Amino acid sequence: MREVELFFGPQHLGMVGNFSITLNVEGDKILKATANPGFLHRGFEKLMEYRTWMQNFPLVCRINVVEPDHMEMAYSMAVEKLAGIEVPERAQWMRSIYLELARVGSHLFGLWAYSNMLGFDTVAQWAMYHRDLILDLFEELTGGRVYHIYIWPGGVRRDFPKGFTDKIVETLHSIGKCVPDYNNTFFNNPLFYERTRGIGKVTREEAEKWGGVGQVLRATGKPFDIRKVEPYAVYDKVDFDIPTREDGDVYSRIMVIRDEMIESVHLIFKLIEGLPKGEVYNKVPNPFKWKIGEGESYVRVESSRGELGLYLVSDGGDKPYRVHFRTPSYSHGLTILEKVLEGANISDVGNIMISMYVVAPEIDR
Amino acid sequence: MNKKNLIDELKLTFADIQVNEDENGMIKIHAKKEQVKTILRYLKGNGYDHLALVSCVDWINKKEFELIYILTSYLNDNKSYQEKGDVYLKIRVTRGGPEVETVIGVFENAEPYEREIHELFGINFRGHPRLIPLFLEREYDVPPFRKDFDTRKYVEDFFNSIPVIPEEKT
Repeated sequence: MREVELFFGPQHLGMVGNFSITLNVEGDKILKATANPGFLHRGFEKLMEYRTWMQNFPLVCRINVVEPDHMEMAYSMAVEKLAGIEVPERAQWMRSIYLELARVGSHLFGLWAYSNMLGFDTVAQWAMYHRDLILDLFEELTGGRVYHIYIWPGGVRRDFPKGFTDKIVETLHSIGKCVPDYNNTFFNNPLFYERTRGIGKVTREEAEKWGGVGQVLRATGKPFDIRKVEPYAVYDKVDFDIPTREDGDVYSRIMVIRDEMIESVHLIFKLIEGLPKGEVYNKVPNPFKWKIGEGESYVRVESSRGELGLYLVSDGGDKPYRVHFRTPSYSHGLTILEKVLEGANISDVGNIMISMYVVAPEIDR
Repeated sequence: MNKKNLIDELKLTFADIQVNEDENGMIKIHAKKEQVKTILRYLKGNGYDHLALVSCVDWINKKEFELIYILTSYLNDNKSYQEKGDVYLKIRVTRGGPEVETVIGVFENAEPYEREIHELFGINFRGHPRLIPLFLEREYDVPPFRKDFDTRKYVEDFFNSIPVIPEEKT
């Protein structure tokens, strides 16, 4: 059979997001895959060198559209580390609640993308609706639905409104009531099982060799999670589990995402119970005149996709000298995806890609 | 191997490198560019098996690029991680005709990072299998992430003019 070069994406039914893969195929078998990013490259890291420390927040959010909150957290942590700013206890707890809510929202969005791609449109609509309920909470808290800029150096922007924690609990309960429906229609569905078992397999050795983090690594049985390894906010003060699966295929990755969502909801309940009283932010200097001393910092947080790092360098000025985000999709989309797609079937490209949670804006930055 | 042992061993094994631990507990290694591959292989053998990031900073006043390899380890719990810590490996490359050896042989996931640095900073990685463009669409005279890249001039040249924002009528 003849070898054909096939351009998969950025406009393709099986492709979610502005990402493209060049496939060399023979029949419907993939011989070679070349990731082709750059459709969303906006040069944020360069732009950030021209803006003051505080002006960078709107840019930081837009690096990952689906979960801007972990980006805010990474940037705030890096600035705090460089400038030596303390964060009040209550703000740390509120940050954790906020980040876990963002994780649930992001996973629901991921579930939308995945089930939509697989043809489970009903489940996709449910997931989108439930994500919207969480966005409503964010809207009440910050005024913005998608981009919030709630976390900033020194704490959080403002305290929770009155009765807000009750609202969180209520919303999460209403979503939790639908978990059996999700299970019956999607996760226990033989169609889902057939399409995902044994597809896109990554062993633990391969995942570690190729820089895998997040679900890709946890689906191979390794409970690697930055919240446990290098705890930030208050993750060392609450007890929670890291869900894992053993097989490393698409099925395992999606089930890890499902389990993580449920674990996050339980974690939010625990965090709300332990929420102390007190101040929510420490004052920072005038943002227009704020200069941070020479230095460099590398911080890591666990975003819903895996290890998210930020390397920040200051030369003593009022703007960052160099910003470099280490995003989880970078290794997953550019290294692991290329290797896993070799030998796979064309119909599984979107399946494998979305199960690895590859988000294009995160790669391009 | 824990932090303290590693620093001693590194000093013994490699002659002309500087190793020190900063106040945050990071191990910082300053080395020559020829030693990168050897040191990374040594660190990988000692349990620093996760290359988190390869980054580059353009220190234009010193006429140098600084390449940073951030290494951590795939450990599950905080206690063993605290003992091991992170390693920053730093090398300096002169700005005129910068060239470094690729480290793909040691860490396979360095491939896109090196491609990106080649594209945005113009550093050549010897032995890299495909130094083809990653993000950018067209060629630039000066690689765009260098500090001497004039964004304003580029916009003027490329789009002929910068659109004027009309003043508001009062």
